[in-house]
Amino acid sequence: MNLTAELALIIFGAGAMAGALGVALGLGGGIFLVPFLTLALGFPLKSAAAISLATVIATSSAVTAQRAGNQLINLRVGMVLEAATTVGSLLGGITAQLVAESVLHRLFGVVAIAVAGVVLGRVNKRNVILDPTIDPGRLGGRFYEEESGGIVSYRMKRLPLALFASFIAGNVSSLLGIGGGIIKVPVLNAWCGMPLRAAAATSALMIGVTATGGAIIYYGRGDLQPLLAAPAVLGVQAGSWVGARLAYGASVKWLKVLMAALLVIVAVLMFVRSTQ
Amino acid sequence: MNRERSGIERLEATIGEVLRFGTITSSTMFAVGLLITVMGYQPMVAQLLLGTGLIILLATPPARVVVSVIEYIRERDWTFVVLTVIVLLALAGSVAAAYL
Repeated sequence: MNLTAELALIIFGAGAMAGALGVALGLGGGIFLVPFLTLALGFPLKSAAAISLATVIATSSAVTAQRAGNQLINLRVGMVLEAATTVGSLLGGITAQLVAESVLHRLFGVVAIAVAGVVLGRVNKRNVILDPTIDPGRLGGRFYEEESGGIVSYRMKRLPLALFASFIAGNVSSLLGIGGGIIKVPVLNAWCGMPLRAAAATSALMIGVTATGGAIIYYGRGDLQPLLAAPAVLGVQAGSWVGARLAYGASVKWLKVLMAALLVIVAVLMFVRSTQ
Repeated sequence: MNRERSGIERLEATIGEVLRFGTITSSTMFAVGLLITVMGYQPMVAQLLLGTGLIILLATPPARVVVSVIEYIRERDWTFVVLTVIVLLALAGSVAAAYL
């Protein structure tokens, strides 16, 4: 077996692990894939981010195609906020070309710590209105929720805040190769009135086009190679498929603690790397 | 109100089809391309498959936005025509930033 084949298999394995971990926790795999590619395989952060963005696009497309029609995705909210995420990802993609690698490493460390904090203290506020006849407004929605045993409605609040969070998420997505759902979903859920599952499904729709904005820039600059992106994409897809089935019976509490611990380790390694 | 609901449902179904097509096509090309690479023959064919698969992957989300623009024009929902066109312009900005 030649060297490229060996590398492709390692990347496939890394993608599968990242995808399984990500899906078990309701996140994309990028937050785990990027550090593996940079810290274990020694890839520059820019090519790791580019490869990870390709997996984000694939995950978004696959998940959204599967969910289309079940009303969990709020197309209108998604398309309003996408205007902010794609502009953000354009700016983030340009910034990534201009700043030093060490700055990106430190930024990844900071974001990983912040994500760990969000995961540990995840606000679990329910925003559903149990009366299905209520008018959800132009941007609200209604969907079938199993926990409530019927159709539930919700209304959108604080749209400017949602737009701002989406813009920041777009920037971070391009800079670091993650989807950005970790920034949008808690904001939409805690302050903008969206139930968690609707926020997550709508975010999953948005991250595809957001990641594309960044990926195009990396592709044009030669940082996104098909031979490296392909095994990562297939790995993440296989991992997500397996992870979704394994996570079903797992203890969510311990998964979250495990994930927060992993993220802190990632952050420390990224800081160490930035000083080298 | 009823007309609007059916419009958005139709759009969601079309978007699902576009995304499904993009995912299946690019993943199949990646899988075949990688298989050929691992076996170590026909490197040109492998490169072509992997390269095309990546382009299709990158083109899938923009294609979904184009479909949405068309649907919103049909619905005469100008707010959403403007919003989806902003997304397309930002993507065009990325293409410009990549090659200029």
